[in-house]
Amino acid sequence: MVTNVTNFSRSGLFDWMAQRVSAVILAAYFLFLLGYLVTHSGLTFADWHGLFAQTSMRVFSLLALVSLGAHAWVGMWTISTDYLTPMAFGKAATALRFLFQAVCGIAMFAFFVWGVQILWSV
Amino acid sequence: MLYVLDLSLSSAEGFAQAKAFLGGSLAKLVVWGLLSALLYHMVAGVRHLVMDAGVGETLEGGKQGSKIVIAVSAVLIVLAGVWVW
Repeated sequence: MVTNVTNFSRSGLFDWMAQRVSAVILAAYFLFLLGYLVTHSGLTFADWHGLFAQTSMRVFSLLALVSLGAHAWVGMWTISTDYLTPMAFGKAATALRFLFQAVCGIAMFAFFVWGVQILWSV
Repeated sequence: MLYVLDLSLSSAEGFAQAKAFLGGSLAKLVVWGLLSALLYHMVAGVRHLVMDAGVGETLEGGKQGSKIVIAVSAVLIVLAGVWVW
């Protein structure tokens, strides 16, 4: 019996797509920030603050933050269901896997809230 | 990383503190390490997307693709190191 209740969306196809869409968003955000930092070597606080104060940058940053949570969840879920199995850990596997996923989920939620707090205080 | 972002955006003093912190040699090494991991992950991820599109799915293509990923990542990681230092 399939007892998968912890995946992102009840659907492997959706998880597959979410992983790829979030990957493209994260790549775009990373390359944008990297490009910005490489081309602004003498960066001042006014430039940096001004960048993050723009609405468009807030939208982009929040999109990247949501993507990071989704991407990390799909990735960590895949790792935990691949390797934290009864074959490797016997009867403790389910509890161990659930614990691992809970820690990952709380970490992602915490990073999300922290990130929103930073972005909205700019 | 979030802490440094928070610090750098909090105030002009915080920005100066973050700048000084990132200028340290241990911080530079950590930043380079994080950049390296992210660059490799991204290059390997792009390869996944290319393979999703049906390119390089044969055994030969897979071997060749993995070599390209390592070569491109190595170049980017060296460039990142040059930029950080």
